[in-house]
Amino acid sequence: MRRDFLKSCGLAGLSLAVPYVPPAAAEPIRPAEPYPGPYYVVFNASGGWDTTYLMDPKGISGINRLYREGDIRTQGAHRFAPNQKHATGGMSNEEFYAEFGAELLTFNGLDYSTNNHSPGARYMATGKLDSLAYPTFAALVAACRGATCPIAFLTFGNYSATGNLVAMSRVPYLPSLRTIANADAISGNTRTPFHDPFALERIEAALAAHHASRATQPRLPRVERGENMLYAAQVNSQALQRVTQYIPASIPKERLAQQAEIALASFKAGVCVSANLSIGQFDSHANNDKDQMKLIPELLAGVAYLLRRAGELKIREQLVVIIQSEMGRTPNYNAGNGKDHWSIGSALFLGRGIRGNRVLGATDGQQFAAAFDPAKLVVSPETGIRIRPEHLHQALREFAGIADHPMSQKFPLDVKAPNRLHQFFG
Amino acid sequence: MRQTLTQIGYAVLVLSACSQAIRAGDAQPALACPAADDPYFLQEVWPKVVARSCLTCHKAGGDAEKSRLILRDPARVDENARAEVFRQNRDAFVRLALVPEKNASRLLVKVTGGLDHGGGDVLTPDSAGYRILAEFVRRSGGKTPHSPAIPQTTSPRLPPLFTDVVMLEPTRLLRRATLSLAGRLPTAAELAAVKRGQLSALPAILDQVMAEDAFYERLREGFNDIFLTDGLTGTPETATLSYDHFHKTRLWYQKFDLSHIPDEKARRQAGYKLAKDYRAALTAEPMRLIEYIVRQNRPFTEIVTADYIMVSPYTARGYGIFDEVKSRFQNPDNPFEYIPVRLRTLVGREKSQNQESATGFYPHAGLLSTFQYLARYPTTETNRNRLRTRMYYQHFLGVDLLELAARVSDAAAVTAQYKVPTMQAPECVVCHRTMDPVAGLFQDYWKFADQGLYGRRKGGWFSDMFSPGFEGENLPPSERWRALQWLGERTAQDPRFATTMVEHVYFILTGRRVLLPPKDESDPLFAAHEQAYREQRKWVDLIAGRFRQSGFNLKNVFKDWIFSDFYRADGVATRVTDPARKAALDDVGMMRLLSPEQLERKTAAIFGEPWGRLHDQMAMLYGGIDSQEVTERATDPSGAMGAIQRLLANEVACRQVARDFARPATERRFFAHVEPDTLPGSEAADQKIRETIVQLHSRILGRNDRTDSTEVDETFQLFAAIVQAAQSQKQLDTRETYACRQSTPAPPADPHYTIRAWRAVMTYLMRRPEFLYE
Repeated sequence: MRRDFLKSCGLAGLSLAVPYVPPAAAEPIRPAEPYPGPYYVVFNASGGWDTTYLMDPKGISGINRLYREGDIRTQGAHRFAPNQKHATGGMSNEEFYAEFGAELLTFNGLDYSTNNHSPGARYMATGKLDSLAYPTFAALVAACRGATCPIAFLTFGNYSATGNLVAMSRVPYLPSLRTIANADAISGNTRTPFHDPFALERIEAALAAHHASRATQPRLPRVERGENMLYAAQVNSQALQRVTQYIPASIPKERLAQQAEIALASFKAGVCVSANLSIGQFDSHANNDKDQMKLIPELLAGVAYLLRRAGELKIREQLVVIIQSEMGRTPNYNAGNGKDHWSIGSALFLGRGIRGNRVLGATDGQQFAAAFDPAKLVVSPETGIRIRPEHLHQALREFAGIADHPMSQKFPLDVKAPNRLHQFFG
Repeated sequence: MRQTLTQIGYAVLVLSACSQAIRAGDAQPALACPAADDPYFLQEVWPKVVARSCLTCHKAGGDAEKSRLILRDPARVDENARAEVFRQNRDAFVRLALVPEKNASRLLVKVTGGLDHGGGDVLTPDSAGYRILAEFVRRSGGKTPHSPAIPQTTSPRLPPLFTDVVMLEPTRLLRRATLSLAGRLPTAAELAAVKRGQLSALPAILDQVMAEDAFYERLREGFNDIFLTDGLTGTPETATLSYDHFHKTRLWYQKFDLSHIPDEKARRQAGYKLAKDYRAALTAEPMRLIEYIVRQNRPFTEIVTADYIMVSPYTARGYGIFDEVKSRFQNPDNPFEYIPVRLRTLVGREKSQNQESATGFYPHAGLLSTFQYLARYPTTETNRNRLRTRMYYQHFLGVDLLELAARVSDAAAVTAQYKVPTMQAPECVVCHRTMDPVAGLFQDYWKFADQGLYGRRKGGWFSDMFSPGFEGENLPPSERWRALQWLGERTAQDPRFATTMVEHVYFILTGRRVLLPPKDESDPLFAAHEQAYREQRKWVDLIAGRFRQSGFNLKNVFKDWIFSDFYRADGVATRVTDPARKAALDDVGMMRLLSPEQLERKTAAIFGEPWGRLHDQMAMLYGGIDSQEVTERATDPSGAMGAIQRLLANEVACRQVARDFARPATERRFFAHVEPDTLPGSEAADQKIRETIVQLHSRILGRNDRTDSTEVDETFQLFAAIVQAAQSQKQLDTRETYACRQSTPAPPADPHYTIRAWRAVMTYLMRRPEFLYE
């Protein structure tokens, strides 16, 4: 009963209309149940990736200097740019598609609708271009699915607005979680608690009672929200104890792998719903090919690391992975051998419930988006529309089963029914 | 509001009739303006249609500046001139509304993309904005295609925003202010003064608080949250002091004579410290400039006009001017003592690297021209100073250029269609006409990455960009050498500057940005959101006006905000259940989660020492920023932060309680009225315990409770319940836990478990919102 009581508090952020009970008969307060999945991971290639060097190869019209059209590789339904010879570190496209192509869903011809980093990042993260208030998909799904989790929404950068629905967690270094996981024990040693158990139970009960009594008093909405979030944060923090067992003895050196380890340990412990993983420097205005040949393999290696480690932790079947960027790069090189911003690009998806080995949408020979029929899921100049981030986000919300959640409805995407992507994920 | 301000005897604040700050490009509703002729235009047409959809282009310097509809931007004039500007704008709209076309007024035809409207179809006929405009045309006597249904945008159910909102009583306001501004509790004298004089005593106290060093630490921290200059990448001395101009001096510490330190290891450590302090001092210069301006009561416009920078003995060495200025330092060995200095014009290793200057001095323009600001927001060959421009507009004029970026129907096609899209494609021009001239003002800072900052582009500035200038005014060639000064002068005169600084102070005080105008008119709570937004704009505009009148003294802005209803709002008299009322009050009330730095300071203020663990990774975990990658503080506590709160409460209570009991009663900070054998159960003992709780509530929570209050009852119950429960526990130690007594020389025994029960009470209180939030 206590657990349900706390759960509902955290889930809805609602006031607790429970009368004051003196703390004499203390009830033990338990942290929320482990969140079992699915777990959502959004990879951000921050700065704007060159999709023609990955999932939307061209090799014509001077778009790519490192390969020609005839060099384009295939893996099942996928066509991808070859980069094994040029990749500097990380994982080549060839390796990535060989290992994950069967699971991978690609969408090409996404219209980012803007050429600027900030609006693009915001738009891709939230599905809304012209609002600073909307939550990112990762935050929204965390709020809808598991707001009681102590680090429900984990972020390592990129646009991370929460819409005030859920707290954002940043965990810069995994061992730092170990420090706080047993916050009620001296030096983290559970055999030496700060307070004797009977005293701690009464502290918790007094806090619960005080919180409940506050709910009966008139409060400003902001005060009510803040008090509820604080109370939930402290109660749910106890679940962090579960993380310590999954903190690996050695920390990987690669930046995405480090982020992945933190996310996976949190998923495995059932304390996290979603994570925003990010690497930057894709903004290759100078020396595009050199930069992209370094960063795309690094990105793919990070994705592969996450998936492989999730397999080792036996949670891979619960992962939903989204790989995106806030813009693409021009079909031509500038004077500095770089490529500037381009408002057409792609996104990749794989994981639980996503039917792989598919490529939807397209761009033409000049990297312009082809109109896409959202009902039939085919390119169609006649019945197609421009697919923009809100279309993908509407599909993601439906796929995650949160489209009708009150929190989602608070942030509508205004995609009319005929324009919604039908069974996009399979 | 007037009544309150009159009561406190603080300067009379009179709301201007049309006091709303309306900024270019913002879709901001206007207030009803008694002086204006047409409330419908002001309340409906202007905010919901014109400000959002027309103003950006239809103004001098805008893309439609040659059209028949030319508007004036109310944000560019002070509040006294706004009524006239609105009247002129309204008249311009009426003229267009009265021009008949086939089926409708020319205004309605144009806005839907007809008659070759350069901006295309700005509104669709089924939109709320179109219906508002059609109603305006109808009211003006113009031709409308049908009788439009007017959207309901005001709710008669909404009472004035602060109705039934309970304000913080004066002594608690004092505590909030001293903790916020100076990280300390009020003194007994200050509390007594406020008890005597109520709010009227507060301004003088705030003046004193704002003279304390702790205030300036908070000021620097707060403004760094905005300008983020602490987030310099790379090594500060090489990122800011270019090899071309400072190669002989920037690494001075490497040759600094430390031979007086005989021990080699100690000498090496001293060298490390020298470099570390030098770097910290260099990085801190921009925020020290802000400190200097405020501390000296100088016009805050100097953040864009100051013809000096702040240097310390260490950074002066980096600039190569130490010998010239060392006599001005009180302590030339203090790396963090700062004085204002004018640099001479930069002289390069080669003649071509020499800086032009008509005065022989570097053309300082406050923060704008500091090497730190320029290095924090660098440029690239393709970016062409546009990042700097974006940050300039955001930091100093409160305009988010990228928030203005409208959806482009096909950005890729536009890019491909035009040779110079930023000068030719309407979708691009709308922003670039504003952005690129300012980018041109930064043209002499044309070095990339680690190659320095000052340097002119070979072949001159780009011709495929709008000419250097500011909002329609071109930079005269003779002013090029001092282009940033030229910009700073115009910035200081721009009404948006004062407004933006007022908004910055609000952010520093509350931890959140001012409200944005609601956009979705179909939202049933639109009117409520709009009410909150309008009320806040009133205060912003009011305080901005007073800021200007005070000669831009920033301390007045802090004081004005502290006296505002927004800062003092503390609760509601009756439960709020109406969704619209809830929405209107959504952002009212402080309820700010303390940052790691603030929480440490508050802990130190209450307990005499900080916790000492909220730094580096722990601070990041607690929602802090690094000014580089992480630039936004967490505003809501995550579970990880909840765990840190537990840890903090446990450790601080562990450290404090036994130590306090070990002191003589007269010297105790918390437990002067009780002893370890003061047990609940007798009237006398209960009274002492309750008095102790009242003091704990006061000190830790900032509450003024009576001994018989429910709040005190709750805490008493906790203490008594633990003491009672301890009696039934077997084999309990009669001493405080080892870890909590080890640092106390002669810890008292705890045979009745009262010391540990008091520790539990302190832990409980430190986990409460009143301690963890502001």
